Amino acid sequence: MSARGRRGLVGLGIALALADSSVVTLALPDILRRFEVEIPEVAWVLTSYNLVLAAAAVPAAYLARRRPVPAFVVGTLVFAAASLACGLASSFELLVGARCGQAIGGALLVCAALDLLTAVDGTDARAVRTWAMAGVLGAALGPAAGGILTETLGWESIFLVQAPLALLTLVAVWRLRVRPVVVPAGRPNVPANLALLLVSGALTAALFLLVLLLVDGWRISPAAAGVIVTVMPAAAIATSRFAERLGSAAVRAASGAILIAGGLAALGVLPGSDWWWTVVPQLAVGVGLGLTLSALTERALAGRSPQVVHGGWTIAARHAGVVVGLLLLTPIFTTALDRNEDRALRAGAAAVLDSDIPPLDKLAVAQDVLAVVRAADREVPDVRVAFEDRPDDEEYRTLEERLVSELDRAVTAAFSRPFLLAALLALAALVPIAVSRKQVSV
Amino acid sequence: MKAAPIVVATAVAVALVGSYVAFGGTSYEPSPVADPCAPRPARETSGTGERIEVVLLAAADETACTLGVSREELVLALRSVDELDALAEQEDRSRAELEDALRAGLERAVDEAEREGLIGDTSASALGFAAERLPLSLLLSVLRGASSFLD
Repeated sequence: MSARGRRGLVGLGIALALADSSVVTLALPDILRRFEVEIPEVAWVLTSYNLVLAAAAVPAAYLARRRPVPAFVVGTLVFAAASLACGLASSFELLVGARCGQAIGGALLVCAALDLLTAVDGTDARAVRTWAMAGVLGAALGPAAGGILTETLGWESIFLVQAPLALLTLVAVWRLRVRPVVVPAGRPNVPANLALLLVSGALTAALFLLVLLLVDGWRISPAAAGVIVTVMPAAAIATSRFAERLGSAAVRAASGAILIAGGLAALGVLPGSDWWWTVVPQLAVGVGLGLTLSALTERALAGRSPQVVHGGWTIAARHAGVVVGLLLLTPIFTTALDRNEDRALRAGAAAVLDSDIPPLDKLAVAQDVLAVVRAADREVPDVRVAFEDRPDDEEYRTLEERLVSELDRAVTAAFSRPFLLAALLALAALVPIAVSRKQVSV
Repeated sequence: MKAAPIVVATAVAVALVGSYVAFGGTSYEPSPVADPCAPRPARETSGTGERIEVVLLAAADETACTLGVSREELVLALRSVDELDALAEQEDRSRAELEDALRAGLERAVDEAEREGLIGDTSASALGFAAERLPLSLLLSVLRGASSFLD
């Protein structure tokens, strides 16, 4: 098999495993309804995967450095089997358990893949670039692929499709010889890994909250939302083509972190509730993603051996960052949503009482809207339901649009604080990036 | 220049956030809810239904003003006796206090409407009777829209 073919298949394996940190984002509303759980609970479908991946990455890297090919094969088989279990899960607990299994297999697969790529490419530097880029593409393309699969075939298909694709990557190790690196592992590059953690925490907002805003907040279909959020990976891919010409890894990482912070802050101050307001901020985040993650991964691995162990540290840092992001941002978002919903409900009741609909229907409409809001529990309510059995008159349509607009503004604003906090996380990454730069200068 | 990408990234980020703020994307404020104690502008009415609506909304204003809540909160609590109890608990009042305020508010609004000639004797008597005599659950039904029988 050609080196190019092997590189492509190993890259596919890495992308699949790292896409799993975000691939179910667009499926979360469907999973939430299927298993009748709430937003903080459903977030565990993402959190469990990232938590276990972060915890398992370094031990997996130590295992993989001694026997890279068997580690890749075992990791891939575990990942494929756990993916099938996710797709067939009959309860929420089983789904979360299978996600943990996916993460263990994924950790082994991704860490071993770095040594496989070094054997295929012949140089550490090229292998690291391919490894880092495959991971960035996987994480960034995940939500879009997940959204399209959720809408066309159902959320279970996300996992059922992964199993055969993962098994396909095993062709890459057919007759591949990889010499294990047996030098003692040195200390990890703490500033670069800390910066990776912070940036990944910030990106959680872009990948997780933006999708929730589009699908649950603005009631855009998962497939359409999947297309909308492809702006980020598209910008990341385009950026990766010229990123190296922009300067040192530290300069690229700092520029990227600033762009990610700017994009997230702009998402925190959206002037309207239309999807196109998210495009330019997504472009900024995508370009920042393309610049930062590869640069910081290169920085973390530069001059360190064995690469596989230090690669394991970067995976641990990135996914610990995602966990920090999820645990930090989800409660802030749900609290803000509850608060704003109450305020919007009062404003909505005022709109009903002051509207031009028949007088004797006003109290009934106001109370039907209240019933819809209460029934939605901690999900974003769809107030249009309260108008389904009412006359198709202009007065009712005007009132319905006014109520939808009031709720849209309240929901959009509930996302504001988490996005702004995520922007601060991205800016905080500038400190370790600067320290890392000084270390290199010294 | 080594730091040029950082300068460009900063300029882009500041311009992006600045332009979004300039377009009005700062903080969320819901549409304002009027003070129930402040007089509302008079409305043109036609037909019994609209006149009764004015009386009921005036009653809601009177009651909400007495209780120190918004008219909207009160209206949403009229859905059931349980909702009314929840409002009473939230405002640290008893159900009896809320019921008294509701009946008194309706009576004042009916008297006012009759004095201004907004409703006739029959409607005023029926609403007055409802305010004074009907059990709370039935009174809530009247306020919720069962008042159409007054047409």
